[in-house]
Amino acid sequence: MSVIEVRHLVKKYPSFELSDASFSVEAGRITGFIGRNGAGKTTTIKSMFNLIHPDGGEIDYFGKSLIGNEKEIKKRIGYSTGTVNWYPRKKIRDIVSIVRGFYDSWDDAAYRKYLELFNLDEQKAPIELSEGMKVKFNLLLALSHRAEVLILDEPTSGLDPFSRSELLDIFTGLKNDGVAVFFSTHIISDIEKCADDIVYISGGKIAAAMPLEQFVRELSAEGESLEDTMLRMERGDHNA
Amino acid sequence: MRNIMLKEIKLSASPLAFLFIAFGLMFFIPGYPILCGAFFVTLGIFQSFQTAREANDIVFSALLPIAKNDVVKGKFLFVCFIEACAFLLMTVSTVIRMTALADAAVYRSNALMNANPFALGMAMFIFGLFNLVFVGGFFKTAYKQGRPFVAYIIVGFLAVAAAEALHHIPGLGALNAFGTDHLGLQLVLLAAGMLAFVLLTLLSYNKACKDFDRIDL
Repeated sequence: MSVIEVRHLVKKYPSFELSDASFSVEAGRITGFIGRNGAGKTTTIKSMFNLIHPDGGEIDYFGKSLIGNEKEIKKRIGYSTGTVNWYPRKKIRDIVSIVRGFYDSWDDAAYRKYLELFNLDEQKAPIELSEGMKVKFNLLLALSHRAEVLILDEPTSGLDPFSRSELLDIFTGLKNDGVAVFFSTHIISDIEKCADDIVYISGGKIAAAMPLEQFVRELSAEGESLEDTMLRMERGDHNA
Repeated sequence: MRNIMLKEIKLSASPLAFLFIAFGLMFFIPGYPILCGAFFVTLGIFQSFQTAREANDIVFSALLPIAKNDVVKGKFLFVCFIEACAFLLMTVSTVIRMTALADAAVYRSNALMNANPFALGMAMFIFGLFNLVFVGGFFKTAYKQGRPFVAYIIVGFLAVAAAEALHHIPGLGALNAFGTDHLGLQLVLLAAGMLAFVLLTLLSYNKACKDFDRIDL
């Protein structure tokens, strides 16, 4: 079942255009959103949160349009923007005490569970956290209100290989619990490690949106790694 | 709405916004342009907007499960809350000056504006100008604060200067009434200031909602 449907999304900037982006995200699957820097990943994700105004297209969550149902939809989704510091000098405990009030579905048991799992100290402020721990803090907020969909903008950027691997394992665990995980990355091995589906964006256009297996079968040449395939496609050669 | 106000107070606000409420007590200072107290209160609120920007407060708020208008509403409610607290202090100071201290020589010989209901009305008018020029101006970008604050400083101090100058114009001496003199006129002027505050704030809020909905964050 599609939990997110993005159809014909268009956003024009003076020097960049996201054109006719369409893809879907399924429940209980991990979708890797891959593309090089400046390909349009963050523009797409910001549109998915209604932070920017697309010039065209539609975005539906759980079969409902984002426009007009924003409040209800946002209660069911979680987000993480890896490099952003929210209230960098406030204690995690204080931030959480405010955020929880916004969600009817806030689950204290889940909060305690992930706090322990992520080894986060409530007394610390975001400014005291490493990049990896910041991502985990954002995930903690998302998971404590039982988000059915996680949308994560470059959650693995800036993480060491150990933290990245740990995070990807967490995604797999969430997937097994039925959560849809949609994460952007420019690190191809992240996709190889845990993604079920791939949405590949290049120069503001969706070059491929399909299950990873199908991507490899249809677009990779024999013996070619996923990285080689993408590098070749990025150079404009789409024939396997 | 309770949650949004709690977020504003506990996460977004600078402690200075609360501390600077005390400038409402400047209404006690003789020989000083007391309406500067209203300006200093808004300076604390301005500091809060800066603190919030450093904390990525606007994007964080826009990601919460609330309507975009509620982000704007939260800011306006917080601003009005601080202004209301300061107004309360100014009112207490003014009432004390109008009653217990009505004949105090230090106030009677005051060369500058007297603390009376007209002054309170002007303080509300200045708060209204802040809400219109600074808060409304901020929401045009949800980022830039310098230009709207400079614009507010100009109109705010023009309002202070006008309030200080008016009672020197022949026939307008009643504006600077002591004690309960000209109480009817004074209360009408207070009501006019409060009405101006409400109108300027509503005008600004409605425009800010439209502007905020239009911008890309």
